[in-house]
Amino acid sequence: MRASLMAASPKKLLAYLILGAWSGLSVFLVIWVIMASLKNTRGLFGQPWSLPTSPVFENYVKAWVSNRFEHYFLNSFLVVSCSVVALLLVAVPAAYVLSRGQFKGRKTLLNFFIFGMGVPIPLLFIPLVVLTTELGIVDTLVGLGIVYVSIALPFTIYVLQGFFSSLPSELESAAIIDGCSDWQVFWHVMLPLAAPGAATVAILNFVALWNEYQISLVLINSPENRTLSLGIYSLITSMQYSGGNWPGLFAGVTIVMVPTVALYIFLSERMISGITMGGVK
Amino acid sequence: MRRRMVAVFLAPALILYLGFVVLPALQAFYLSFFQTSGFKDQEKWVGFGNYVQLAGDPVFWLAVTHMLLILLVGGVAVFGFAFLFTMLINSGLWGKKLFRALIFMPNIIAMVGLSTFWSFVFMPRYGLLTNFFKSLGLDSLASVAWTAPEHVFWAMLVGVVWIFAGFFTILILAGADKIPTDMFDAARIEGASNRQMFRLITVPMIWDVIVITLVLWVIEAIKMMEYPYAFGGPNIDQNLYTPAIYLFIMGFGQRDPVYQLGYATAIGVAMFVFTIVAVLIVSGVSRRERVEF
Repeated sequence: MRASLMAASPKKLLAYLILGAWSGLSVFLVIWVIMASLKNTRGLFGQPWSLPTSPVFENYVKAWVSNRFEHYFLNSFLVVSCSVVALLLVAVPAAYVLSRGQFKGRKTLLNFFIFGMGVPIPLLFIPLVVLTTELGIVDTLVGLGIVYVSIALPFTIYVLQGFFSSLPSELESAAIIDGCSDWQVFWHVMLPLAAPGAATVAILNFVALWNEYQISLVLINSPENRTLSLGIYSLITSMQYSGGNWPGLFAGVTIVMVPTVALYIFLSERMISGITMGGVK
Repeated sequence: MRRRMVAVFLAPALILYLGFVVLPALQAFYLSFFQTSGFKDQEKWVGFGNYVQLAGDPVFWLAVTHMLLILLVGGVAVFGFAFLFTMLINSGLWGKKLFRALIFMPNIIAMVGLSTFWSFVFMPRYGLLTNFFKSLGLDSLASVAWTAPEHVFWAMLVGVVWIFAGFFTILILAGADKIPTDMFDAARIEGASNRQMFRLITVPMIWDVIVITLVLWVIEAIKMMEYPYAFGGPNIDQNLYTPAIYLFIMGFGQRDPVYQLGYATAIGVAMFVFTIVAVLIVSGVSRRERVEF
């Protein structure tokens, strides 16, 4: 017994070392980026590892005002929150019917939605530009939001229907026996039970849409309609002209990063369980 | 549940999904048979012309090579780490939830942010990596130009592996957590090592999860764009092209507009076909090797 313990402990130490190093990198990234955003260019390049000696908050002022990140932040917040709300309004009823409804072709229709998870988004780039141009919503936040909701549907419906399927059917039957209408069963019985699942997919989609930039890169042209991620991408593209203001760039990265990291600190368990609920059943 | 409720509940989702996902996907197939810059009067039917051109386009094949390297080399690394972390986290350590949360964390940070950080890590002369090697006195490693054409793809892949290893760790871990613990207890009494238990219990028991994660990885790897594109910056090196990036550049241009919309969508269709073929291969292979209990 003692021998096995002795043999096990260096192994355990190694396990802690490996996991600690990999996990530590995530923490290091967040802290290092924030430190970098508070330095001036010479400080960043001269002492990339040290704490900023005297924090340079001008980087943030510059990012927020001259680089219009205030504007991008509001754009992102608006388009992402509205998209998530609209997504729930559309996806929750659909997922409910697709998991609890009894009609011919239910399973096929569900698979048809799930199949959308396999469609590579870049395939849709050009047709989406053509389509939104015809509808007159290209280069608008409304158009971007509609596309966000549509593209998020397959994953969202997949996770939500899994959630609805896991609810006991006795509740439904009991409510029907008590004289509830279809609508009442949904509204008073199933929806409250599904609320945690809906909240989880809302958070996951909020983070995913907040971070995405490929669709906005394709659909948004006007600087005033840029989202935050797209704003940072355009800052990266402009770097070669401005001579590389890295601290300013890291200030932008901090601005895009802080909201999702803050959410994650409080809701990591919930977000992870939401993703694994979708992938592993 | 009455018909009308089914219809009313499904209609909005169906309309959006059909209108903004299915219809554009079908339209992409149609568009790929034309030569067009987006103006209706200039559309010219070329049949399979775009595909013929694609087959002889060295840049496209370069992008496909990168896609395969991400899929296979990246995949081995991603799943290697994911399995290693699952095994280590489940070997009875303290702080399981903390490790899991931190390993997954890159996935909740914007890709542009992650790629900016890694660009600074690999930056020539001033980058964190060069700096690190210099401080250790490893001058030969410190003088390597990580963003030079021959290295830049691998520098990019490091970031991709780092991100996706975390993603797949939580999925595989969640699968492993569903295995009844008495199986491990029984194996431990029989004197099985951690590695044996992992190979002989965990892997066969979570085979379904492994197949799902492989399918997800195939889908992700083939459509990859955001990380390498931001990593490449303004004048992206062709050594970083993936099919999705090449599609974007052919469709919308890097800085000078190209607007070969038909050609670009043909790349998208090729990606879609790759995805379907790869998913079929994964599910075919995994079915044959399935361990029955």
